[in-house]
Amino acid sequence: MTLWAFYVRNSQEVLGLVGQHLYLVAISTGAAIVIGVPLGILLTRRPAWRGPVLGVANVFQTVPSLALFGFLIPLPFIGGIGARTAIVALVLYALLPIIRNTYEGVAGVDPAVREAGRGMGMTDWQLLTQVELPLGFGVILAGVRVATVVSVGTATIAAAIGAGGLGVYIFRGVAVVDDTLILAGALPAALMALTADGLLGVAARRFAWRAE
Amino acid sequence: MGGGGRWRAVQGGACALAMVASLAAGCRSRDRIVVGSKNFTESDLLGEIVAQQIERRTSLPVERRFHLGGTFVCHQAITSGGIDLYVEYTGTAYTAVLKHPPVADRDSVYRTVARDYARQFGLVWGKPFGFNNTFAITVRHRDAARYGLRRISDLVRLAPRWKAGFGYEFLERADGFRGLASVYGLRFASPPTAMDLGLTYRALADGKVDVIAGNSTDGQIEALDLVALEDDRHYFPPYEAAPVTRQSTIQQHPDIAAALDQLAGRLSDGEMRRLNALADVEHQDIATIARDWLRTSLP
Repeated sequence: MTLWAFYVRNSQEVLGLVGQHLYLVAISTGAAIVIGVPLGILLTRRPAWRGPVLGVANVFQTVPSLALFGFLIPLPFIGGIGARTAIVALVLYALLPIIRNTYEGVAGVDPAVREAGRGMGMTDWQLLTQVELPLGFGVILAGVRVATVVSVGTATIAAAIGAGGLGVYIFRGVAVVDDTLILAGALPAALMALTADGLLGVAARRFAWRAE
Repeated sequence: MGGGGRWRAVQGGACALAMVASLAAGCRSRDRIVVGSKNFTESDLLGEIVAQQIERRTSLPVERRFHLGGTFVCHQAITSGGIDLYVEYTGTAYTAVLKHPPVADRDSVYRTVARDYARQFGLVWGKPFGFNNTFAITVRHRDAARYGLRRISDLVRLAPRWKAGFGYEFLERADGFRGLASVYGLRFASPPTAMDLGLTYRALADGKVDVIAGNSTDGQIEALDLVALEDDRHYFPPYEAAPVTRQSTIQQHPDIAAALDQLAGRLSDGEMRRLNALADVEHQDIATIARDWLRTSLP
């Protein structure tokens, strides 16, 4: 069966899985931003925490997904099987680029600019929201972009723990040695990653243009 | 392992030719016996047992070519003469190599593969080791004791209140869940959760699901205090393991056939599970497990 015929015959299911996939990526990347950006900012205020926090985020990157799921299954609240566990894993994988880029973006602001702000009598909060975040926004956004694109790919492993998404086709295809099925999952995931990258790229350029 | 292994086995097709070419080039001389195995623990264990048995019972030197890509790699290697023997499963040979639709009768599957292998490939099927590595509907030991579960039929009345988690292979295959559900009239509380096979064991042990489809000789079953239910309606096709040897090798060295015959019927499902657990759960060395088993079972 050709890929096209497969999509026509299973259009409902395909759309459902694409929806699940988008849901997993959106929720997990959103949560990673909500956790990662404040954490990255905190690191600029508490430099001593930088090593340990980035170290932990680094370690999560290196844990294979199936092993991570294995650890998560017995845990209360965040564990079990299904979308919740998959989202927890995806958040852990997305944290590193967001924390790191937020830290670099904020810490990389020209010290002279920061001094000027202080000289004008800005509080730390004003300095952060009116100087450091606007100037570091491009770098932070680049981190979010990396996290999103990686999440679209990684979310295929959600199918290993009953959370659905496009990985379902990939796992099924591998199980029954069917290349069409594998492609049916991999191709839309790749398109989704490229689209997300493109959209965030446009956002970044818009911002860069406005910042000038 | 077996279930995943059977099909992981099949996937090796792409790299088969390259490997076979190198194998065939490497060992043309016939003064030693080359034993192969597929790329999962049970196949390595059986390959090692066969290799040591030949070393013990004949004067022939044995060369090991273990962990080959899978069914297709092993099959190409043995038909081209790169290896002299390896351990294959009747059901795999029947469906994956000979392309017959799955059937459940052990004897007819064995007779068919033995006949067709001899005719088509010049390969001889030895006697099966005794165990059957097929799908195993598995529950927690605690539940089996509480509800008196022994056979899959016993599960039917409980299923409407229970949750199932199955691997993708079991959900997709012709001899998988759909057929099982209709043969036994099984209905679960919700559609079975599709997940990675290895994770289903953990999900079952941690109480996240109540029924899984494991592989009957998997070491995890005992390690996690689980029970495999008896397939009382004989739904699952047989996957009996037996040594497959080149006819020409047996003609040159008839004592090999005699040595292999001594292994016939020596490994029950439980015994194979125990050996797999020694390798996978306790991480013992495969050569040591094989040596200890041969020493106690075939002194």
